Amino acid sequence: MSDVTPTSLTKVDEKTLGIEWSDGATSRYPVRFLRQQCPCAECVNEMTGERILDPESVDPNVEPVNIHPVGLYALTIEWSDKHSTGIYTFEHLRKLHDGLKSGEEG
Amino acid sequence: MAVLQPSAVIDALKTVRHPGREGDIATLGLIHDLEVQEGITRFGLDLSTVEEAEREALLARAHAVVKDLDGAGEVGVTPLLPVEASGPREAILKGVKNVVAVASGKGGVGKSTVAANLALALKAAGADVGLLDADIYGPSMPTMFQVTSPLQASSDGRILPIESQGVHLMSIGFLSGEGLPMIWRGPMVSNMLQQMLSQVAWPDLDTLVVDLPPGTGDAQLTLCQSVSLTGAVIVTTPQDISLIDARRGLEMFRTLNVPVLGLVENMAGFTCSHCGEVTHVFRQGGGDRIARQLEVPLLGSIPLDPEVVMSGDEGVPIVSRNPEAPGALAFKAAAEAMAGRLGEVIAEKTGAPGGDLHLTW
Repeated sequence: MSDVTPTSLTKVDEKTLGIEWSDGATSRYPVRFLRQQCPCAECVNEMTGERILDPESVDPNVEPVNIHPVGLYALTIEWSDKHSTGIYTFEHLRKLHDGLKSGEEG
Repeated sequence: MAVLQPSAVIDALKTVRHPGREGDIATLGLIHDLEVQEGITRFGLDLSTVEEAEREALLARAHAVVKDLDGAGEVGVTPLLPVEASGPREAILKGVKNVVAVASGKGGVGKSTVAANLALALKAAGADVGLLDADIYGPSMPTMFQVTSPLQASSDGRILPIESQGVHLMSIGFLSGEGLPMIWRGPMVSNMLQQMLSQVAWPDLDTLVVDLPPGTGDAQLTLCQSVSLTGAVIVTTPQDISLIDARRGLEMFRTLNVPVLGLVENMAGFTCSHCGEVTHVFRQGGGDRIARQLEVPLLGSIPLDPEVVMSGDEGVPIVSRNPEAPGALAFKAAAEAMAGRLGEVIAEKTGAPGGDLHLTW
């Protein structure tokens, strides 16, 4: 069980999704990056974990339409390109957050 | 009346074009679970690739071409929609304060008996309680609550739960008829569960107890994804070998972030009615040991008691039938411990993830 969970979602600007976490952390995700990181079986090979989706093929202007919680462990995002099968677990989102943070520092 | 061949139904459906794509709805693989019986023809129509505005017309056309066939009889078309299209998730079960799943890693541990009696014990303690029998493979609530009256619809077309012994009941068994097996693939299971959650007119409830099918599969996953479960109770027998199965259930809920309220040990000691000696058929203290190893609270131990079994079989579970019997008292104690854990879990979660994780861009 991931102990850290989102407490709120915000549209920071047209291209950025903000998540506040229960431990006080704040994440800022470029929305196209999130679409490129879609974890669903169409975008990632379920057996090997290999990414099938070519990140470059993602519409540069893609944006979320709706975001809903999935049970108590994940979010799902409906995208403007009609893709909506990705279940972004809190854990996965948090890892992406950590990746973005270390990217900023490095 | 001529016997209708399934191939004739498919041929008829081949005359219906997909409104948005090249080809007909049969060739494009939109028809699922076709069933032809004397006087009844049923199938599912996958609408996930069909624009919303076109859906009703397409359903009507598919219905009409089959209805025209000689021998089709009553025609039932079930619209199949992707889960994502089912609308805002928070609308499901909005009058229900807590949803508690009763699960087990394997069958045969008395999960349904525990679910029924926990529901009745909560009711006896003064709560408004519902019981959803989601055990699609072996629904037992129609028997345990002796329900034979047909389902009725509410004014807005939703299904009304049946009230029995003070508990609001819905069972997959009410829909299928007793003794008929459910031969379903994953997507159908998931569809049916969605419907039992969203299309049943649940009254305002303090707790909805959900009797899950045994194991860790599609049904469990669907439930955990569609509803914000407040918590889960895992039922086990007390022998060491059950630890593995209990752990499987536990790990599933942990992965899905559903708090595990605790373990209920079923089929603990058997008291001889002649000499009063207690025989521990499945080892003494097994439930306690399993709970310690899994690091979850032991909510209660239910004795192996013929009266518990018999009362369930006869349609009046022990908590209703003989509230002072040792078995009934054990269920009441377990329900009380569970209610206590619910309070803890809710307190822990305050301010954490909630219904506000919705965002429209």
